[in-house]
Amino acid sequence: MNLENNSTEKSKQTQSSIFSKIATLFLWALFSGNLGYLITHFPNIQEWDWHGIFRINGFTLLIWTTVTFFSAVVSSYAGNYLKGFRYQNGFMGLCLGFTISVMLLVMSNHVLLLLLSWLAMGLFMARLIGIDSDWGEAGEASKFAQKYFMAGTFFLSAGVLLLAFKSNEFTISGLISALNGLPQSIIFIAAACIIIAAIIQSAMYPFHRWLLSAMTAPTPASALMHAGFVNGAGILLTLFSTLLFASNTLTLLFIIGGFTAIIAQFTKLLQVTVKQKLACSTIAQMGFMIMQCGLGFFNAAVAHLILHGFYKAYLFLSAGEGIENSKPQKPLQIRIRPLQAFVVLFFGILGAVLFALLTGKGTAVDSGIFLTLIVAITVGQATYNIVKEQSLSILQKALLPSILFISGIGIYALIYNGVTVLMADMPMVVVPLQLTAIQIMFGIVFLIGFFIMKLGIYQRVPWLYVKLLNISRPYKKSILLYKYK
Amino acid sequence: MIHEPLQKNIDNAAKLVGKTWPLYAFVTSNPLSGYEDIPFEKAVRRVEKHMGARVFPGASLYRQAWEQKEIDENELLTLLEENGMSESPEWYLRQMESQKTVMEKNINHDLDRIMAKWLAAFMDEGLAEWEMPYKNEGFYNAWRKLAIYDGELGINSRKDLPKSGSDALAEILKEYPEKEHISIFTYHLAALPGWTGYIKYRKEANSFWHMEYPITLEDYLAVRLWIAKHIKAEMLPKTDKTEILPISNLQLIWLKAWEKSWQNRLVNSLTQKSMTLEASENEGPVPDAQMVLCIDTRSEAIRRHIESKGNYETYGYAGFFGIAMDYQNLSDGLIRKSCPPIVSSTYKVVEILQKGNLEKLSKYKRKNEVLKFRQYFLKRMKNMLPSAFGYVEGSGAHYGISLLLRTLLPGYFHRLNGKNTPSHENICEPEIDTANSKEDLIVGIPLNEKTALVKSAFDLTGLKHFAPLVFFVGHGSHSTNNPFGSSLDCGACAASPGRHNARMLAKLANLPEVRIALEDNFDLKIPADTFFIGAEHNTTTDEIVVFASKVPDSHQERLQKVRTDLFKAQRTATQERLGVVKDSVAMARKKALDWAETRPEWGLAKNAGFIIAPRALTKNRNLDGQCFLHSYNWEMDKNGSALEGILQGPMVVTQWINNHYYFSTVDTEKFGGGSKITQNVTGKFGVVQGNGGDLKMGLPLQSVKESDEKMYHRPLRLSVFIQAPVAWIEEILLRNENLKSLLDNEWIYLLVMDPTEENRITRYQKDMKWDRSVGRTGSSKDFIDKVPAEDLNELSMV
Repeated sequence: MNLENNSTEKSKQTQSSIFSKIATLFLWALFSGNLGYLITHFPNIQEWDWHGIFRINGFTLLIWTTVTFFSAVVSSYAGNYLKGFRYQNGFMGLCLGFTISVMLLVMSNHVLLLLLSWLAMGLFMARLIGIDSDWGEAGEASKFAQKYFMAGTFFLSAGVLLLAFKSNEFTISGLISALNGLPQSIIFIAAACIIIAAIIQSAMYPFHRWLLSAMTAPTPASALMHAGFVNGAGILLTLFSTLLFASNTLTLLFIIGGFTAIIAQFTKLLQVTVKQKLACSTIAQMGFMIMQCGLGFFNAAVAHLILHGFYKAYLFLSAGEGIENSKPQKPLQIRIRPLQAFVVLFFGILGAVLFALLTGKGTAVDSGIFLTLIVAITVGQATYNIVKEQSLSILQKALLPSILFISGIGIYALIYNGVTVLMADMPMVVVPLQLTAIQIMFGIVFLIGFFIMKLGIYQRVPWLYVKLLNISRPYKKSILLYKYK
Repeated sequence: MIHEPLQKNIDNAAKLVGKTWPLYAFVTSNPLSGYEDIPFEKAVRRVEKHMGARVFPGASLYRQAWEQKEIDENELLTLLEENGMSESPEWYLRQMESQKTVMEKNINHDLDRIMAKWLAAFMDEGLAEWEMPYKNEGFYNAWRKLAIYDGELGINSRKDLPKSGSDALAEILKEYPEKEHISIFTYHLAALPGWTGYIKYRKEANSFWHMEYPITLEDYLAVRLWIAKHIKAEMLPKTDKTEILPISNLQLIWLKAWEKSWQNRLVNSLTQKSMTLEASENEGPVPDAQMVLCIDTRSEAIRRHIESKGNYETYGYAGFFGIAMDYQNLSDGLIRKSCPPIVSSTYKVVEILQKGNLEKLSKYKRKNEVLKFRQYFLKRMKNMLPSAFGYVEGSGAHYGISLLLRTLLPGYFHRLNGKNTPSHENICEPEIDTANSKEDLIVGIPLNEKTALVKSAFDLTGLKHFAPLVFFVGHGSHSTNNPFGSSLDCGACAASPGRHNARMLAKLANLPEVRIALEDNFDLKIPADTFFIGAEHNTTTDEIVVFASKVPDSHQERLQKVRTDLFKAQRTATQERLGVVKDSVAMARKKALDWAETRPEWGLAKNAGFIIAPRALTKNRNLDGQCFLHSYNWEMDKNGSALEGILQGPMVVTQWINNHYYFSTVDTEKFGGGSKITQNVTGKFGVVQGNGGDLKMGLPLQSVKESDEKMYHRPLRLSVFIQAPVAWIEEILLRNENLKSLLDNEWIYLLVMDPTEENRITRYQKDMKWDRSVGRTGSSKDFIDKVPAEDLNELSMV
């Protein structure tokens, strides 16, 4: 009896580790295959079409490479991290299912396949949030997220099917090219539906709460969620970029993204748990990505979703590092000497020029200037912190900013240009818009936001603290709803 | 000011809840420490009732213990019979198994949720850049000023709220008869025990955060009860369930049988060896080296492996090496406790420059500053608008590469990040000072105190004949991405690594003036060629790092040999611990560096016994890391005063550790930390589960269980085993009411091997009675079931 029990226990454990190992190897193989193909065939990637159901192009391969990378890293991590977890096999299965649905999504040309894979993606993610089925709050969080995802699929279906039935085209490529023949009202309604689907997925305000309530998922699932799921909006909007241009909804996107980016960035400042802080940061970054779409730079949005994925996956997987013994600190006084201000300005402009030269953004008077402005402020901000630091020597102060911004901008430009080349055969993904008053206004709002943050003015507004605290609370029922005994 | 009876009621009610320690100094304490003066059974039942916690091992643990024959059938049958139960053990086991976990709605869900929100915001220790406004005015006042903005509360005007916490409390309580007050307090303090415990901790520790942002239980209750009244939450528990479930009686019987079986095994295993007892350690030839390690259960294995590698002697001593000190960290200047939390710090140890290392020190400091700047810089870039967006784009690729390296090649990633660079131990040396001395001015302490510190180390361990090299080996753990890292450090040092205590004691013992004083005053002669060295046992990799920068040339050759043997010991110790033969050291290192590792090492799991006796009694015996070992030689202890010291200090520390492991195991959600995989670090000092809720107060599942189902730690109350005359122990217990009460109330057990009565073993019963029937019933199972270390040795030779 004893032995028997032990051996079944053992075989159960080995089963789980074998399944997890095979799944992990499979994902790494997928990733290497994709990457290898991308590298060897770059930049001449032929579009491949199969009966109007599947379509594979440079963009497909790019997203495949990205998502398999994240899944492979996450499953390697989870193989060890979840050892002994009752639902480890289930976890690996869901990860695999999720990865395959994303891959299907970006290769689907038929609308039904697109809708189904979008739905599957959401269902797998919701299941991951509630994977611990003995935990009532996790179940609530999972149901809550699932409601959002179902709503997202509903809106996506409404938008896409409206176009499909009106144009009688059932492939994405078909209905995109048939847009010209459709009435403006239909185009607008469809675009609005698709935008709603996208911003639910990306947790834009006011649809942000599901993401802030999703911490019941095991850490590696969160990494996958923040690196490979929320940015689904970027993919969706890119696929439908032509529709967005046709419906004149880019400004709407720009405003939604912009507001969310600012609110979420402030909300992040008052979070007291690591994962919620990361979630607020994700919402802000997704806001920025959607702004990039709204500026007509879908390629920049795709580059951003990949780079943000790296960043956020890393931070989630290392989320256990936040324990530290420290002393209360008073906020530093912000003072800047004229010479320092000059250096900051100088490097800021230099950064902007380099960025414009390498990426081509901001060389003409169009919406690209907005992105260049952000680079300039970032470089200025970095320079400011460096020149102010007393432990650095003069030489270090002179060299460090240029080393940082040249390497940062250089590597970004490399990736941005690579993404642009891979997306070259897609219609309407790099169409800088005319500079509008709204963009200029947001540019100013960002600058104001920058100064408000820099000077710490926000800290003097208590009601704002409470409001932001409350809008960033997780779903009520996902906290302390049950008692266990 | 709050009026007195109210305060008394609050304090009484708060006894129910233990202290929650911050994870950067995670002390494994007894969550029921407020009830140590009442019997274990009564205490756990109270907590069971008020906190809704599980207080006994669950059926699945008993099933595993039963099937692995860890519970002796005879002992169990006897105990069942005594309680009038006549069915078979299997029958009772099934009865316990029929009891399932129930999940019911929390009737004060909204109240708990709102309180968790405000507590987490207020108690944050710097995770949030934008801290809660008005925080420095205290919890009640800060909340009072913000409450009007909180739409959930529906409080419209600040005037509706009393000016102080005590006014608010008084106003609410006047609607209730005074005899109900304590029930109200108990009910509400037990609702979020983790947060309540952290308020208790902050107040007692009076940390920097507390001084700046005070919070008291009165404040907490004032806010909580005010909100409760406002949102019409329950003020008192609906039903007052007092009935004791028959199942829990059964669980207690099984627990006792399991404990008794364990004691029998220990006694059997120790008495097998007692034949060789005569040759105690101080009579043979002087060994090549002696090592004094912490009493920690993890020292047991490494000591065995060191001893088997050469002519070495090892000793067990409390890992703070008897120096009740605080330690000032060189890198951040922060002072933290480095002695047991039950002892108040008399000394402060700081780092001073070793001669000729000025340049190295300034290099170290510069590096440190650059590191600090880097952290600050990254934080600013990530937080600021809009640089956060630009930063992500510019550094994203870097994170991508790090992600890949850290997942696939953790060792390489670690080296790349330069975390292997030498630390300050070889540049600086520790210097002892009084605890309350001013910064930057070292006055030092008088010679007689220095001498006393050194002497008591020898007195308590029984170390008498000195080898040329004597090592004081502290211990620390090394893991990455682990919020519970400090729970793996030295429990005797308030969850700090014990290396600095070890270095300090070695330095003191090397001082010529101390040696002269020892000889003049105590007739204790340390040979001139004996040199003391501080070291650290890395419990994750079993590496022993020797801080050897001051070892004279004359000892270098000897030291080299010891190092070679320590390396061999590391190999065999890791082989035994990890159950592998090949590359065990590499595997242990990987566990230390892998960011996906939730069980880098087992810490003190499996602890169940504390043996206070000469090493000879336990030598060559594999105790499987289940025992704390304190060296003690009753013949050198003239009147039992050393033993009294051991019982007052180390024994209480081991009891805390043991109780903590017990409760974290029996209810990992309530008393422990839950599963690591869904933890969420809060406020830089603790974890919550998932989206938030109560602060977790104890060890996570991964520290006490091998998998969600499979047990690792055995939740057994500590059995203390002493070799000394029973008469001495009786006297000590009479003098120390608190120790006697721990025994009488069954928080721990005591077994004594009396050398004055032919080493007969007796077991302490209530009220100074002794039971002689230990170890007689046939033990059904040997002490351990792993491959003995010797076999592994042979394998590794091949």
